[in-house]
Amino acid sequence: MSVTLETLSKSKPQSIASQLFSLKLAKAIGFALLKIVAFGLGVAIVWEVIYLLMVEVFHVWIAALFPAPVDVIISLIDHATDGTLLRATSASLFRLFIGFGLSLPLGVFSGLGLARSRWFKRVVGPIVLGFQALPSVCWLPLSILWFGLNERAIIFVVVMGSVFSITIATYDSTKLIPPLLLRAASNMGVRGWALFWRVVLPASLPAILSGARQGWSFAWRSLLGGELLTAGVGLGNLLNQGRDLTDMSLVMAIMLVIIVLGLAFDQLVLTRLEHAVQRSYGLSRS
Amino acid sequence: MTSVDVNNRVKEKTLSTVSRLSLQQVSKGFKSGNTNLTALENINLEVKPGEFVCLVGPSGCGKSTILNLVSGLEHADSGKVLVNGQAVVAPGPDRLFLFQEPALFPWLNVISNIEFGLKSIGVPKSERRERAMKYLTMVHLQKFADFRVHQLSGGMRQRVAIARALAIDPEVLLMDEPFTALDAQTRDILHQELQQLWAATGKTIIFVTHNVREAVTLGDRVIIFTYRPGRIKREFSTTHLSRPRHIEDQAALSLVREITAELRSEVQLAVAAEYGEAYEDEQIAV
Repeated sequence: MSVTLETLSKSKPQSIASQLFSLKLAKAIGFALLKIVAFGLGVAIVWEVIYLLMVEVFHVWIAALFPAPVDVIISLIDHATDGTLLRATSASLFRLFIGFGLSLPLGVFSGLGLARSRWFKRVVGPIVLGFQALPSVCWLPLSILWFGLNERAIIFVVVMGSVFSITIATYDSTKLIPPLLLRAASNMGVRGWALFWRVVLPASLPAILSGARQGWSFAWRSLLGGELLTAGVGLGNLLNQGRDLTDMSLVMAIMLVIIVLGLAFDQLVLTRLEHAVQRSYGLSRS
Repeated sequence: MTSVDVNNRVKEKTLSTVSRLSLQQVSKGFKSGNTNLTALENINLEVKPGEFVCLVGPSGCGKSTILNLVSGLEHADSGKVLVNGQAVVAPGPDRLFLFQEPALFPWLNVISNIEFGLKSIGVPKSERRERAMKYLTMVHLQKFADFRVHQLSGGMRQRVAIARALAIDPEVLLMDEPFTALDAQTRDILHQELQQLWAATGKTIIFVTHNVREAVTLGDRVIIFTYRPGRIKREFSTTHLSRPRHIEDQAALSLVREITAELRSEVQLAVAAEYGEAYEDEQIAV
């Protein structure tokens, strides 16, 4: 046998859970932060050069519309220290996680439903494709009329923004399952819903997680779209405030926060989960 | 495993007159583009309980179709397919397939893959682990119970597939070129082990292969098929050869030569049909 027990023991995999919650995670966060800081520094330098040229030297733009990176950071610190930023961020993340948390199971089950039932596919399939083509903010007027001008209206928009991409990703992933696995399972007498729970769902999991990442970014966009068009505490509201006060430093500071938060959850949670699953399935060698 | 007096068992088995598996006047066609092809024509095949039958023929002779008919994945156009006197209606865990690929589930570890089959046939949870371990030990992989499928070599994976099938305790094993994708040394070892497992469990096995030596090494009977339409051309008994056999056995050589000669004209037909005029004037050495 070409593989010895010793070499295999060394590469024996940790469970997905232990891969996620280990010292490695702390290391990964540190490394990710370092990368972000290095990247941010690079951006800041380029930005500062453009600012100096266009505002200070040639006077093409005015500082109120194109702030220096330092001004943005000062604005960020100001709003962080007086608590505005924290309140806005936690309000936004609350809506986002509720919306995404609803989208994920809804999307996965409707995607499996599309794969499971021809009838369901015929009826729901075109609706899913149509709504996926509809920018989620378009739901806002309806949503406000249905739910009122409150959290639920925005959460509804978030769900509508992300659920269909997860549905489509899940449905597509079921079509990529090796037919031999389904054949082997049905040969062992596994059919119907049991086949779904025990084979189709786990076999689709890696692709479903990729779909979840996409759904996450759609959820983020929908949230901000909703918040920009409504009042209430949130990051979108802070952006509006910056516009109303012609405070470009605040606008850019909030944009930075949105980028960092979206990236952090994608990289530190979803991508790590995706890679852990891929490793345990033997889909990647890293 | 202790050396089982296999020849005695074979004699015992041949005493039984009840045929576990019976194909009577079976024909089966399929559509290829616009033309109707006859895959099988008037097949009569009786397999005794515990018999090891090898089906050999050129590609496209329909030998795999026989396995599909017995499993219930496909249905005959005419004729009867009977298992223990009962017509085959649907696939079931009493007739288990082993494919060229092991078809293990990558999200489960080795022991869970075997337990998957046991759960499928309704073995209570408390008994599954012990029974799975028993069969894993039979294929000498007890140390690998907690390993992921992708960490095993091709030969190990095929052993797990064999253990998974045997654990379900089927009446008939349908083996469709299960060792073709393996390297020669691994295949030799698995030939030995399959003979031991067969002797120990007394399963009826139908084994499809292109390899005449493999067929003579494993089978009690070797059945040669004609090229399209697939008919039984000739049958060879190998019971005069003592077991366990090895693929390089001198005693088997004359029989191998005889079968190969019988097969040659059919293979030439298959090649001619496949490559057409490109082979017209050439002598094909098989």
